Amino acid sequence: MFGLGDNAITAAMLGCIISTAVCVIYGAINWNRSDDQKEDKK
Amino acid sequence: MIPLLCTASQMHTPVLGTLIAIYVIAIGFLGWRGWKKTSNQRDYLLAGRQVHPFVMAMSYGAAFISTSALVGFGGIAGTYGLGLLWLVFMNIAIGIFIAFVFFGYRTRRIGKALNANTFPEFIGKRFKSVKLKLLIAMIIFIFIPLYSSVVLIGGARFLEEVMMIPYSWSLAIFACVVAIYVIFGGLKGVMYIDALMGSVMIGGMLLLLIMCFVKLGGVAPAFQELTNMAPLVKERLPEAYALGHRGWTVMPEINSVWWWTLVSSLMLGVGIGALAQPQLAVRFMTVKSSRELNRAVLVGGVFILCTVGSAYTVGALSNVFFYRSDLGIASNFSQLAIEAAGGNPDKIIPMFIREALPPVVLYLFALTMLSAAMSTMSSLFHVTGTSLGHDFFRTIENSRSDSTLVTRLGVLSGIIISLVVAMLLPPGIVARGTAIFFGVCASAFLPAYCAALYWKRATRAGVWASIISGVASSLFGLLFLHAKEAAGLGICQAIFGKPVLISAHPWPHVDPFIYSLPISIAVLVIVSLLTEKLPENHLARCFKK
Repeated sequence: MFGLGDNAITAAMLGCIISTAVCVIYGAINWNRSDDQKEDKK
Repeated sequence: MIPLLCTASQMHTPVLGTLIAIYVIAIGFLGWRGWKKTSNQRDYLLAGRQVHPFVMAMSYGAAFISTSALVGFGGIAGTYGLGLLWLVFMNIAIGIFIAFVFFGYRTRRIGKALNANTFPEFIGKRFKSVKLKLLIAMIIFIFIPLYSSVVLIGGARFLEEVMMIPYSWSLAIFACVVAIYVIFGGLKGVMYIDALMGSVMIGGMLLLLIMCFVKLGGVAPAFQELTNMAPLVKERLPEAYALGHRGWTVMPEINSVWWWTLVSSLMLGVGIGALAQPQLAVRFMTVKSSRELNRAVLVGGVFILCTVGSAYTVGALSNVFFYRSDLGIASNFSQLAIEAAGGNPDKIIPMFIREALPPVVLYLFALTMLSAAMSTMSSLFHVTGTSLGHDFFRTIENSRSDSTLVTRLGVLSGIIISLVVAMLLPPGIVARGTAIFFGVCASAFLPAYCAALYWKRATRAGVWASIISGVASSLFGLLFLHAKEAAGLGICQAIFGKPVLISAHPWPHVDPFIYSLPISIAVLVIVSLLTEKLPENHLARCFKK
């Protein structure tokens, strides 16, 4: 995949992109959420 | 160790000089702004606890990623390939996501509840021990100069090569510029400037990556070409092949020397070790609420991907540029990157930029490198200064007054110590400085830090024992077991007559982190369970919502 030589490297590359996406999505969803709101949900 | 970027005749010094002048003016302005807005110790130590999330994230990222990461590891990717992308993954998943979400929130909250202004103060107040605070402060200002001197040298060498300034002058100029804005601007100055530098770093590295892919005809074609070059490793780099290198787009041979270095030192040591860096942890306490941390997760993740992700990819792909004859590299074609660089991995990235890309990219890259060095150094100088001044001396003096002045003096002392270390210690020891610092910090502080945030049963005695055992086992490993440092330092040889105590594979290549962290964790748990718990009312105060 992507012209890479083995699955482990492909996994690393996808891991980088997916983990960044997780950071972006997490940040976007919780953009306005702060401590007080989080405690109410617990 | 930073190589020659271009000859005097090739360089357009007025253009580069102008760019650097604009850059220095911007730094001067932001440092001055930091100074104007610093009126008490909370401003100096924690930027007033009111930092904008973009600034916080960029500052965290810029402090995290230094020239060692971009040029040093980028060059390693050029030599050994894309296995290093696993480190990028660890840096994002653990260094940003886990760090901010699982460590950041609680650090900010507990830090605020305890009115802690520094990392040593955080641990000290959490476990109700002034002596613990002093111990941690001492560990920081003993070991950080090893790391900061490496970065200082890297930055000075860079200035030396790009601006043709003699090395000792470069060292002095570099240290002075950073000293001025850290001493006067405090953490506010440091973080504003980090935000500028972080932006330069992202811009510079992304441009580099995009140009690389464009020249090679796209992402998949570029990687495919690199994959096709795999047989050249055995043919042209027999020593690297013997160490486990099998190609630039495949992992090294399992259980080989390089595999152990990649997995134990880089992925695990640096990847997990990043969680316990005091100069990064303190930044969690600089924001007003968890909302700012949430926003910073987004910025931080993107920052790491764009900086080190680009650097390691470009490093590996440079092999294609050096090998093909039709990509504008006149004299170096039919070589691998490490061959073109004369066997010095540090030269790969700068050489690639000089040979394959337009001069403006070189200038932007020069600024990117200076940014990476300065932002990391400023964070290290600041945390050294706070450890020496606010945590150590102010505690010894039993003073309750504002600590800004003594901390400024602490920063100055830290810079002088780093300069002295940079000038006097032999290259062999200094080069190992980064590894020693990361390894010791991680095993010493990570278990205690986790326990401070999550384990109410952790006791003061447990934390003391954990930190001491972490430092001791790390140092033991570095001095007697891990070949890179042990052989370089020569102490094992002097005492026992051999370079390492255990020569059976894979022990000389296993990073001390692999055993010192579990030892430190085990000691924390066992000693805590055997000793008296902290008072309930104190725990309630720490963990109050």
